[in-house]
Amino acid sequence: MNPVIQREFFGILRSPKAFAALLALTVAFSLAVLMRWPSDAKVDLSGEQSIGVFRVFGYGLLAGVVFLVPAFPASSIVREKNSGTLALLLNSPLTPVSIYVGKLAGVLLFSLLVLVSSLPAAAACYAMGGVDLVGGIGLLYLVLALLVVQYATLGLFVSSHVQSADAGVRITYGIVLGLCFLTLVPHAFYQGGTGWMAEISQWLRYLSPLPVIMRTMGQGSLASRGLMEGGGGTLEFIFLTIGSWLVFGIATLTRLNYRIYDRSRAQGVMTDDRQLSSRMARRLLFVVDPQRRKAGIPWYLNPVMVKEFRCRRFGRSQWLLRLVAGCALVSMLLTFAAATSVVSWGVETIGGLMVFLQVILVVVLTPSLTAGLISGERDSGGWELLRITPLSPFKIVRGKLLSVVWTLLLVLMATLPGYLVMIYIKPVMWLQVNLVLICLAWTAVYTLAVGAAVGSLFRNTAVATTTSYVTVMSLFLIPFLVWLGRDAPFGHETVETVLLLNPVGAALSVIESPGFTNYDLLPAAWWVAGAVSGFMFLVFGVQVWRLTRAV
Amino acid sequence: MTSASPVVEIKQLTKRYGDFTALDSLSLSVGAGQILGFIGPNGAGKTTTIRILVGLSKATSGTASISGADCLQESRKIKRLVGYMPDRFGSYDNMRVAEYLDFFGAAYGIGRRERTRRIAEVLEISNATHMKDLFVEALSHGMQQRIGVARTLLHDPQVLILDEPANGLDPQARIDMRILLLKLAEMGKTLIVTSHILPELARVCDLVAIITKGKLRAFGTLDEIMRDIRQKRTFEIQLVNVEQVDRVAALVAAHLSAPPEDVTVAPAETMVRFATSLSDLELAPLLTHLIEQGETVAQYREVTSDLEDAFLSVTKHDDGPATATADTADQDERPAGSEEQAASS
Repeated sequence: MNPVIQREFFGILRSPKAFAALLALTVAFSLAVLMRWPSDAKVDLSGEQSIGVFRVFGYGLLAGVVFLVPAFPASSIVREKNSGTLALLLNSPLTPVSIYVGKLAGVLLFSLLVLVSSLPAAAACYAMGGVDLVGGIGLLYLVLALLVVQYATLGLFVSSHVQSADAGVRITYGIVLGLCFLTLVPHAFYQGGTGWMAEISQWLRYLSPLPVIMRTMGQGSLASRGLMEGGGGTLEFIFLTIGSWLVFGIATLTRLNYRIYDRSRAQGVMTDDRQLSSRMARRLLFVVDPQRRKAGIPWYLNPVMVKEFRCRRFGRSQWLLRLVAGCALVSMLLTFAAATSVVSWGVETIGGLMVFLQVILVVVLTPSLTAGLISGERDSGGWELLRITPLSPFKIVRGKLLSVVWTLLLVLMATLPGYLVMIYIKPVMWLQVNLVLICLAWTAVYTLAVGAAVGSLFRNTAVATTTSYVTVMSLFLIPFLVWLGRDAPFGHETVETVLLLNPVGAALSVIESPGFTNYDLLPAAWWVAGAVSGFMFLVFGVQVWRLTRAV
Repeated sequence: MTSASPVVEIKQLTKRYGDFTALDSLSLSVGAGQILGFIGPNGAGKTTTIRILVGLSKATSGTASISGADCLQESRKIKRLVGYMPDRFGSYDNMRVAEYLDFFGAAYGIGRRERTRRIAEVLEISNATHMKDLFVEALSHGMQQRIGVARTLLHDPQVLILDEPANGLDPQARIDMRILLLKLAEMGKTLIVTSHILPELARVCDLVAIITKGKLRAFGTLDEIMRDIRQKRTFEIQLVNVEQVDRVAALVAAHLSAPPEDVTVAPAETMVRFATSLSDLELAPLLTHLIEQGETVAQYREVTSDLEDAFLSVTKHDDGPATATADTADQDERPAGSEEQAASS
């Protein structure tokens, strides 16, 4: 047996976290089925109830795969590289292919366990009737199996390119979420249309597993418009997914040699040392030039906040400005697309899409900024240094949180023009827009609090990042999974209660987005968000106090 | 040997983690401008002592103070008085050296203009001015150590505590570090330096403290420690031919009235060795006596002992299990010279 497979697989199995994840998934699947298991003697001839259970189960399994699988491969190669064991492996008689296969197989075997642990629940769904074995359960497992390999190869690919385990986790989760959700957005505007844009948007949509899974569950796909959806796409999804395995696999293999250690120590020329023309050009190009010598931190700014902005790779000023510019561009494109697309969009739908995009941005961005606030310092040894400075724990915490608050504020502000256009088109919506903006602000605070609190509980940044992502995404996705199962299997009250878990449902309800108009979520959603955020900030504060006191 | 006004003063410092005693009644003091070499095997309690000194850890009993400020009660004052360089550098990604130092300067509340001047100054002192535009994470280990020293100097602390500053350095970097430490002592800074590279430490330290299993085993100047731990000095008499060896050995034994086990011969090396507790003055007639007896002596020398010998001598008697409970401080086990040091302070 390939020794790498042995070590990787048993290494994952030995991890208490992996065991806990497996156990939690098995319990969750069983509970999901048990909750909807018929308790009376009525015969459900339509099979509606069993399909309802199958939907919850299927989406839950998809969420499990999306959350769990990328975490292990995303840090696998880079962790070995940084600890020096990859050099030993490359120097051994093992070929790069066997190292790669070993690592891939280790992750796949673990993922297989995840899927196997769900089989009893799948069998229970089938036993309830109304669910097709091949076109339903079989197809679901086929899609999930394809996804598992895609995420494993993607994780290993990212891991072979990054310099730290947490960067690997962040980037991999970002790409996975992008593949799942962002690929659907262009199609929402161009579906039913012709021309190369419509064609590209259609193929982009095939990259996402959601349309295929939703069809398997007997639902129209996300953001589709009834008959215009066009159907099909399963074969294309399979083709693209298998293609991506090959691309990621080959790209990773080309790194598994001396190249992975080839890192230039070139520092670049400081802009201040360049010629005037070059300095001017860079000023125009960057606005905030990363190669320019920085002025000292002024007295009125929290030094920890400035440090956070300066030391993170994504989040330095030039990146933030690019992000804001990107948001403004997307906002404009959204308006343009809505005005020119073949579909007649209402202001409410556009508003819903904007909320949706903003939430994705916040959910993808925030855990990566917050998870490492404390664990990153502890990981690098910086925490000890901060503790010996005269900075108080409160000032450290304030600086760290402010660095994220400013970033999120910029992201939220960047889409304001879009909302202004909405008010211009339909002035009566100004109150709704205000309420939506408050909901979005709460979303940002809520995500920040949860990400920071969860991340602070771990010493290792990669683990903190993974756990933060899984927690935040769970809190945002679970209500929508339940919402997708509205009426069957979940009733109105259940959906309304679960939608209170985060403020996004309230935002969509206020903006009267299709499917959310029947729910009355304000001001309860704000209270819940406030309570959860308050509790999480308390956890964060206690953890910082615990870590800063002398024991 | 400490100066009249100790800057760092530790009295009966004890730290327990449950049943495990990490530090057991440690007492020592260091004066202004002195360099203390704090040595001991891994897990001896060096880092625990340092962490208490810089206010990162709380002692179970005993006191530690720096310039009269209690290390735990007056932690804010201690932070201003001490510059601490942990054994881990603590780098931040994507930050240049100047930005890195600027952050720590701001964290210490140094004004912007003053900070710029201080950064230039400390980079100059640590011979690292050319590194200011480099990314911190891309620096070599030796360069990072220099930046680490520069960082500790930013707020102009009175005491510098450096944990393993020479660890992992190449020979040139080690020499540079030694020069830097001496330069800092010349500036009047008090230094506490831990290291496993004992010859290196021996070259710069005024005082040495040897700690094992939480107990201070020896404390004083290197000479004092050598004298205390080695009651007898060893001398070698290099002869010119092998026939002399037994004859000279007998002459030495008779002259010094030494027990037979103290005089050993090495015929292959034409050498006689003897151990004695006599002073130089008392030993002086021996050479004259040998020459008067018609012996030709090629060389007559004392075998010098160094810090490594002292360290090994102290630690080899201490290979029992780690102290699991609080030991009743046995006066016989008190380190050589520690009483005098504590008293003189």
